[in-house]
Amino acid sequence: MAFIELPIIYKSLKCVAFSLRTLREKIKKVSEQQLFKVTIDNITIEVPAGTTILNAARQIGGEVAPPAMCYYSKLQGSGGKCRTCLVEVSRGSEKDPRPMPKLVASCRTTVMDGMEVKNITSPKVIDARAGIVEFLLLNHPLDCPICDQAGECHLQDLSYEHGKEGTRYEFQKRVFKKHDLGPYIQLHMTRCILCYRCVFTADQLTDKREHGVLDRGDHSEIATFIEKNLDHDFIGNVIDVCPVGALTDKTFRFKNRVWFTKPVDAHRDCPTCSGQVQLWMRGDEVFRVTARKDEWGEVKDTTDGKPGWICNTCRFEKKHINDWVIEGPSKVNRHSVIAQGHYIGLQKPEEIMPKVMHGRAPKLLMDIHSVSEVNRTNIELSLIDGPATSKTFNHSEKTNA
Amino acid sequence: MGVKLLLEKAHVEGIRSYEVYRREGGYRSVEKALKTMSTDAIVDEVKKSGLRGRGGAGFPAGMKWSFIAKPEGVPRHLVCNADESEPGTFKDRYLMEFIPHLLIEGLIVSSYALGSHDTYIYIRGEYAWIVDILENAINEAKANGWLGKNILGTGFDCEIHVQRGAGAYICGEETALIESLEGKRGNPRLKPPFPAIKGLWERPTVVNNVETLASVVPIINLGGEEYAKIGVGKSTGTKLISACGNINKPGVYEIDMTISVEEFIYSDEYCGGIANGKRLKACIPGGSSVPILPANLLLKTAKGETRYMNYESLSDGGFATGSMMGSGGFIVLDEDQCVVKNTYTLARFYRHESCGQCSPCREGTGWMEKLLLRLENGQGKISDIDLLWDIQRKIEGNTICPLGDAAAWPVAAAIRHFRDEFEWHVTHAEEAQKRNYGLAHYAEPIHVPVTV
Ligand SMILES: Cc1cc2nc3c(=O)[nH]c(=O)nc-3n(C[C@H](O)[C@H](O)[C@H](O)COP(=O)(O)O)c2cc1C
Ligand code: SF4
Ligand code: SF4
Ligand code: FES
Repeated sequence: MAFIELPIIYKSLKCVAFSLRTLREKIKKVSEQQLFKVTIDNITIEVPAGTTILNAARQIGGEVAPPAMCYYSKLQGSGGKCRTCLVEVSRGSEKDPRPMPKLVASCRTTVMDGMEVKNITSPKVIDARAGIVEFLLLNHPLDCPICDQAGECHLQDLSYEHGKEGTRYEFQKRVFKKHDLGPYIQLHMTRCILCYRCVFTADQLTDKREHGVLDRGDHSEIATFIEKNLDHDFIGNVIDVCPVGALTDKTFRFKNRVWFTKPVDAHRDCPTCSGQVQLWMRGDEVFRVTARKDEWGEVKDTTDGKPGWICNTCRFEKKHINDWVIEGPSKVNRHSVIAQGHYIGLQKPEEIMPKVMHGRAPKLLMDIHSVSEVNRTNIELSLIDGPATSKTFNHSEKTNA
Repeated sequence: MGVKLLLEKAHVEGIRSYEVYRREGGYRSVEKALKTMSTDAIVDEVKKSGLRGRGGAGFPAGMKWSFIAKPEGVPRHLVCNADESEPGTFKDRYLMEFIPHLLIEGLIVSSYALGSHDTYIYIRGEYAWIVDILENAINEAKANGWLGKNILGTGFDCEIHVQRGAGAYICGEETALIESLEGKRGNPRLKPPFPAIKGLWERPTVVNNVETLASVVPIINLGGEEYAKIGVGKSTGTKLISACGNINKPGVYEIDMTISVEEFIYSDEYCGGIANGKRLKACIPGGSSVPILPANLLLKTAKGETRYMNYESLSDGGFATGSMMGSGGFIVLDEDQCVVKNTYTLARFYRHESCGQCSPCREGTGWMEKLLLRLENGQGKISDIDLLWDIQRKIEGNTICPLGDAAAWPVAAAIRHFRDEFEWHVTHAEEAQKRNYGLAHYAEPIHVPVTV
């Protein structure tokens, strides 16, 4: 036996040595990278120098993470615009403990060693943020009942969590003329919050951006200037980054409410992109294909560590279940309504009848319908005109006639 | 007569041409600086002079210059901000139009001090005719060896390029200006990084106002210390004020910052008093972005002291009872002017000029404009006034660039000092459509508590 075991022991020893070495290298790397201590809402963590306040707060998670409507970690240069992520820096750093005079955009402000940040513990932040929500909703059409984004809209979540119940705006809202972007992407400029994410996406994923922000101020709009189709293999990703219903998928338009569809992870062999997607299904029908999202609503990395942007073919053309290899239900981490359709880890209650009956069939003691005045089976509810009332049951003979 | 350093020669016949300008002593500072001074020495002189930025913020110019990063092998740039679009401000236009070589001279010295081989003048698009004047001056300077390669045999190369804006106030904000200069949409950048570290094409850049850079000429000629003797306290040197509104002599004046506001308005050397024998009601002393003051707080501070035309005195009392020097756009309102209408006009301007990047400024400015129009038209409610206050409060300090603040401050100041005039527009809505509120008590002396 020994002659077999020796090489195994040798191998495992080598293994241990190897993993020790990598561990040591890892430790060295981390210690080489300077760590900064930052306290956010009284919770202290250590993050590498260069981390933004927002990303540090996201590591803590929960309510400590400020809402972000324009920042998108996968898009370079994004952030700083919407101002929903404003936080108070009550202590600048160990070296310079002075507080910062203004609230700062946490998505674009890097932490300093010994910095103290107040997010939900700052009344100033809560007040300013409620103001920002009011500003963002000022000209927003609030057409959620007919908007495809409803249910996964970041503006809806933001308003519920940080807004006030009413508006003080008493003027006509701004509307924009419809602008056609081609067969795949629907633009509803009136819903846009000008986060610029779609502009960065087009800049960074396609070779020539064809749309952008025209004009300025409250009259600025997303458009292609001269009406033009957006067609580039990766342009469909603008739909995924849009936090509101300004850019939606024409192939899914009005087909279903997102909370009625079930997200499942699936993949296919795609020559253009990773092919790792999320299918939004009802039964065997594929209603919509999107990239996979993380808990911040951003595109997840694929298995090879790159952002999982998907191509237009996967997104718009592959709507048959046979196009895909289904991996299983998606984990939905966002606290949006989609998570309400949560069905992972569903535990079916145990069938106890056969157990207690020792396999015998139950015996019918009494047919409840023949005794009860309430559940009368002779009343066909689907046939009565209008909703059932007590009358329906009191005069069952008449209504049924 | 106060000291004049910038406009002293502006009316010499033919001063626009190189020959006359040179004959009058022009380009001496370039000779002195390039031949006898090190770049550090020039920066030191500017520091000693106490020169503060004339574009609005009043940041010490020498200090700004000393912040510029000098990484090996990376070019640096000087950019002259000639976008001058603030309502009420037209001093740079005057300087560039009448004595263009002064700016070019200042630019050469400053470019040398900062090591900028390609210097840009970003000029307001509407100043189209001035572009020609400047380009002509640049060509003359080049033909006479003040620009181009190996200037005065010192080995220093410098070119000045003039770039026209396309009609956006926001492109006067230094980072928006840089974006625009790069050929992009004029959206202000987030700071940090500051232009001194990463500016034009990610290179270290200094952006200064026209008047700031022109002032470098007398600083080099006189020496920083001599320059600092003119003026008072931290308001050194001379300042160009563009005066407009209901005064007898609107125009551009060079003052040495020791005169009182009262003297500036009423003396014949300057504004020559209120037009048509009317009485002074209010004034915006530093361009449309700074707080408006009623007559009583304009001429005297809350402590009852005389208010002077300089940085410190104009801001005495903070925003509660003071204002700012700003860009020197001095707008005078007489008793026939309506503060509500005036505030509405400003709000409309800011709504139109917001770049629209950040939500508070994009949405808030439009909302304020609509509320002010409603009040002005006699359809407002008392609660609108409080609402306006709340909106401006939520814009201020929460935006990317100071345009948000600039839109909030005029509204805040108008409500702070003229609240009864706003209320009158609601309580006497019909009357307010027929006549103005008038002077009311805005010129009456303010009771100053006696401190023992
Ligand atoms: C909205 C906005 C508009 C501005 N417009 C001008 C301008 O037209 N001219 C100018 O010199 N500075 C303008 N500034 C100030 C510049 O950002 C910058 O502070 C100035 O050019 C610096 O020069 P200085 O230090 O010489 O004053 C503006 C600032 C803001 C926020
Ligand atoms: S269309 Fe959507 S992604 Fe693009 S700027 Fe508007 S809200 Fe942002
Ligand atoms: S404050 Fe106004 S002008 Fe400045 S960046 Fe924001 S939206 Fe643009
Ligand atoms: S997420 Fe930070 S400003 Fe928009």
